[in-house]
Amino acid sequence: MGSEFQWILKGRCYKLGHDVWHAGGVVPNRIIVGRHFDPKDIIPHLFEETDPGFHTRCKPGDIIVTGRNFGMGPKMNGYIAMQALGLGLVCESMPFLAYRAAIGCGLRVMTDCVNVLEMCETGDELEVNFRDGFFINHTKDIRREYPPIPDALMEIVELGGNAGWLKRWQENRGAGQTA
Amino acid sequence: MPQTAVEKVLAAKSGRSSVKPGDVVSPDPDFIMIHDGVVMGAKRELDSLGITRLATPDKVLMVTDHDVIYGSARAAERGAFNRQAAKAWGVKNFYDVGRGGHGHIFPMESGILLPGMFYFDNDRHATNAGAIGAFGFRIGTEITRVLATGTNWVMVPKTVRLTLKGRLQPGVHARDIGFHFAAMLKQGGLSADLDYRVLEYAGDLEQFDLAARAALCSTPTEIRAYGVFVPPSEAILEHARRHAQKPFTPVYADADAQYDADLVLDVSRLEPQVSLPGSVENAVDISRVEGTAIDHAFIGSCGSGMWEDMVTAANILKGRRLAPNVRLFVAPGSEATNRRLAAEGLLGTFIEAGAVMLPPGCGPCNDAVIGPVHSGEVSISTATNNNAGRFGARDAKLYLGSPATVAASAVAGKIADARKL
Repeated sequence: MGSEFQWILKGRCYKLGHDVWHAGGVVPNRIIVGRHFDPKDIIPHLFEETDPGFHTRCKPGDIIVTGRNFGMGPKMNGYIAMQALGLGLVCESMPFLAYRAAIGCGLRVMTDCVNVLEMCETGDELEVNFRDGFFINHTKDIRREYPPIPDALMEIVELGGNAGWLKRWQENRGAGQTA
Repeated sequence: MPQTAVEKVLAAKSGRSSVKPGDVVSPDPDFIMIHDGVVMGAKRELDSLGITRLATPDKVLMVTDHDVIYGSARAAERGAFNRQAAKAWGVKNFYDVGRGGHGHIFPMESGILLPGMFYFDNDRHATNAGAIGAFGFRIGTEITRVLATGTNWVMVPKTVRLTLKGRLQPGVHARDIGFHFAAMLKQGGLSADLDYRVLEYAGDLEQFDLAARAALCSTPTEIRAYGVFVPPSEAILEHARRHAQKPFTPVYADADAQYDADLVLDVSRLEPQVSLPGSVENAVDISRVEGTAIDHAFIGSCGSGMWEDMVTAANILKGRRLAPNVRLFVAPGSEATNRRLAAEGLLGTFIEAGAVMLPPGCGPCNDAVIGPVHSGEVSISTATNNNAGRFGARDAKLYLGSPATVAASAVAGKIADARKL
């Protein structure tokens, strides 16, 4: 599976600013408090309060690029939708628990990408290599290196997040387990 | 390579000579804690994956502290589920109702959690481990991976050092330091980012007993510190040696360790603090709010539930009665403290004053499952935080103070300075 996984995403830039709260900024608070974790229940509501219908316009491979403190409030619902839609996420910074939640959802995510907001505008053609830490804006002919996903976390992302990782771990443990 | 205390703990538990911030390690924990509120979710998730056997059931501590006396049928169902889960998983260290107390207090008191240890915990108040010189790592719902495999990934956090200068004045409490520190950060008097940082204390720490050290761990957690570490004094080590259930090795930072920020706080002239409703960061000198009428008071929580906290409150309540308009709830941190309160007569002091004793555990600090406030009421407590809705009604006014301030206020019927009683 690892060899087939797409660490490089090519798509359009979707640019957001600084200090985006998960509740309201990423998905409506009712999705969080309603404990919706099924992607099909969350996808229609991704960025609903700032950009209704986003899910009908985005395409797999598109990259969400944000400023500092993206995803404040350690919630995972929005990352579940982004992962299911095949989107990537590149941030100037995230609170650590937001980053951990994104990794746990199997999202291709890079954080601590200094000044990345200045490198792109919504609609630019981007190419991001999350394994090696490359950010390329083909529209503006800009190339930057940023911290990639740490080696130790790549398997979690490849397997679709924590649940996928645990499922594979259990399968690898074999049939030795009895109830 | 010079290391901070928590870096040393993580290196030792990961079989490495050293680690640095940003490294990803999979530490072998001394134990794994899961509380009553999340066992059901974790069990169902693992069951759905066919994982019915835990990696290290002997390391697992299950603790009933969040909803101890079942105020609802749903809570009773949860309790029954948890008992079945403990049985199915083979968890022998199950501190159920009436057996241990608050999971972030009794393990330190009873020699389960010892200096230099590392453990995983589903709950963010694992930071309390710093009181005894250990590191508890909050893993949230990813506790399932720890239960299944014995570990999980930990990115080594950066460390911020806070050096305390001077001795507290009589009547000023370690909780007051945390409130003041949070306010200083908010107002810009001190500058540091605590997101995913460990706050390591230094300086004049000999004055702080274990309860005071737990108090020092409380407020930083509410302003995003991921860990707190107080280097153990000889008195703390003596406590640990007296109670230790296994050998331990205390850990201290290297003198030339690298810190993300290096802060200094003079506490010698600190006044008792009260955090105004809405956030721990809204702390002011008590003189600013003295006289504010209250309806509700609570003494307990992982920040203020130890024996010394109870003694502080009892000394104020002794021979006095609560104001007629005030209800005071008291939740000792452990069954051991509860027994000692009874044996030494302090339980009588609380009851004669008119306080309501709650079972050891979180009390109203957990989602107001017990002893909540009503809309418009005013409360002062030693809860971990006073965010809107912490005790139920979102429009109630929740103040925070030290155990002394809360006890004095409950007697006065209004926010009161214990030094003036």
